[in-house]
Amino acid sequence: MLLLLYSLNPMTDALLKFFTLQDANVRYVVLGTVLLAISSAVVGCFTFLKKKSLAGDAVAHAVLPGICLAFLLAGNKNPWALLAGSFITGWLSLVCIDFITSKTKLKEDTAIGLVLSIFFGVGILLLTAIQHGGNAEQAGLEGFIFGKAAALIGADLVLFMVLSALLLCTVALFFKELTLIAFDEQYAKVIGFPVRWLELLLTTLTVLAVVVGIQAVGVVLMAAMLITPAAAARFWTDKLQVMVVLAALLGALAAVGGCLVSYLHTNMPTGAWIVFLVSLLAVFSFLFAPKKGLIARHYKQKQHKLRFAEENILKTFYHLGEKQKDFFHSYTLNEIVEKRKFESTYLQKGLERLKKQGYVVQQKVGANPAQYLWQFTTEGYERGLRVTKLHRLWEIYLTKYLRIAPDHVHEDAETMEHIITPELEKTLETWLNYPKNDPHNTEIPYR
Amino acid sequence: MITQIAQPIVEVHDLTVSYHRKPVLWGVDLTLPQGALVGVMGPNGAGKSTLIKAIMGLLPLQSGFVKLFDQDLNQVRSRVSYVPQRESVDWDFPVSVFDVVLMGRYGKLGLFQRPRQSDKEIALDSLRKVGMEGFQNRQISQLSGGQQQRVFLARALAQKADLYFMDEPFTGVDAATENAIVELLREIKEQGKTVIVVHHDLQTAKEYFDWIVFLNLHLVASGKTEDVFTAELLHETYGGKLSVLSELATLLRKNEYPSRE
Repeated sequence: MLLLLYSLNPMTDALLKFFTLQDANVRYVVLGTVLLAISSAVVGCFTFLKKKSLAGDAVAHAVLPGICLAFLLAGNKNPWALLAGSFITGWLSLVCIDFITSKTKLKEDTAIGLVLSIFFGVGILLLTAIQHGGNAEQAGLEGFIFGKAAALIGADLVLFMVLSALLLCTVALFFKELTLIAFDEQYAKVIGFPVRWLELLLTTLTVLAVVVGIQAVGVVLMAAMLITPAAAARFWTDKLQVMVVLAALLGALAAVGGCLVSYLHTNMPTGAWIVFLVSLLAVFSFLFAPKKGLIARHYKQKQHKLRFAEENILKTFYHLGEKQKDFFHSYTLNEIVEKRKFESTYLQKGLERLKKQGYVVQQKVGANPAQYLWQFTTEGYERGLRVTKLHRLWEIYLTKYLRIAPDHVHEDAETMEHIITPELEKTLETWLNYPKNDPHNTEIPYR
Repeated sequence: MITQIAQPIVEVHDLTVSYHRKPVLWGVDLTLPQGALVGVMGPNGAGKSTLIKAIMGLLPLQSGFVKLFDQDLNQVRSRVSYVPQRESVDWDFPVSVFDVVLMGRYGKLGLFQRPRQSDKEIALDSLRKVGMEGFQNRQISQLSGGQQQRVFLARALAQKADLYFMDEPFTGVDAATENAIVELLREIKEQGKTVIVVHHDLQTAKEYFDWIVFLNLHLVASGKTEDVFTAELLHETYGGKLSVLSELATLLRKNEYPSRE
């Protein structure tokens, strides 16, 4: 035990050091990446909702030639020059996509594919040329491809902090406008919003977010920073404001995580880890989010199936009771199966659940469980009656109002009897005016 | 039979509209009176929605001009309201019913300005008018087609306009909603306001509208319902394609001719 604590000690030490941000370098890198992650996540929400996710990817790749050209012109890695260069080509790529989609017959996906690969290709070409050009300043330029968060220090950081703050403020100021052009652009035009300017603003914000973000994660992975937090957040909420905040939080969380990993293991790339973590969060959301997550939906479907099974069993009890003219008569499993062909585990498990819920009771007669007797409780009787009633009412509705032949209505009613809500039940009853018999001339029970 | 009137609330002059160089509306000269409930009718692809969108400045005009209240659209935007087709937006968007209706007030607010208390009250009131109170916090993806249409209508009402354009408000809605909408349109009309509705059901048109516009790539007829709803004009609007016109339009597009020199 002591040995274990001892071996953990350097680890906890490192964690403590990381989270208290004692080290100035750590402080810079964490602060920088968190800011980058937040600003790209917030802008990304609108890109995502405008269904421009792929365009974001194109911008990210198109930034590379800009950086290289700026380097060639300036002769060094002046951050302002690189920023301006990347902004210009990133912007140009969106203009190209727009131009191609509006002036040719090519669709948007083709245009994005074309622009992305051409711009990135040119970027790689220029980068290779620079690397063989003999300028000693070029070292580190390739960091823009996959990102180099550790380079986020000093003057660069201040510049990027200012840009991030600017970005967030702009989104906050134009929240109402950006929401409307993402939801219903035509309406925005009609009520006199300067839609062209707002589109331009969103484009500019997207490019800016990319330009700021590539420092940390690089052009190849940048689209993930833009889109993934938004996509993940969408699973948890139906409110745009909440979604934006959540996306920012998820982005920030991934950023801190990525920094931590590369702090603990110095040969791990920060940017790639941030993207990996944010993707992990997205997969988690996709699976586990309440209501919209895959598992929640699967669980709900399963619950429905169980309920259908239970109601079918109760209905069978009711039918048996009708035959016996005694609803509280008890039956063996065999007698139930004779009435309706249930699979035996399906029936037994269903009965056990109903017993737990208090809809049926079990009498243990003899040693053989097959001989046990099962019987309605009052609650079970009422529920069985209701399902039977809904089944028969729905059959009437189908034959009378949809003119479906009486011998075709049973199957449909088998499902609808479980789905009809109490409100619909009321409407159906009053609308059909409490009919006495169903199309097969069996009595419809009312309480 | 095209009735032109003296002091129109909507004036369309020599309007031609093209999609990708293919004209879809040719030379429309149309005037509509104030306080009317107008139905814009015609077969599929006749240019009904195109006409409305062109009037609302959503499409570039090949030729002609539009005047509302005898003024340019930009001068009277606050008096004009528009209900787009329901399918034109993504109903899975993360906003609530109330948020959407509140958008009707955005035109009255400046940039950066947040909706005020009065705007919220107007939005709630509009929801009440379309019978959707109690739905204000619902996410819009949980609505039925008829409810979606009511929300769009409430948003238009929240604009407090004098002139309403509605693109197929009866498409995909249940009978109860259709009746409620018609009732509402009549109320708006009673207040001396004008409503222009793109509609495709001939059965109900006669009963709903007091002014009818028949379109089929060009303006066939415009006038009081009882004057326009004749067998002859119906046949002219719906009977057979205007083959010369549509073939010419296709030619213009294929060979990149300009439709105006």
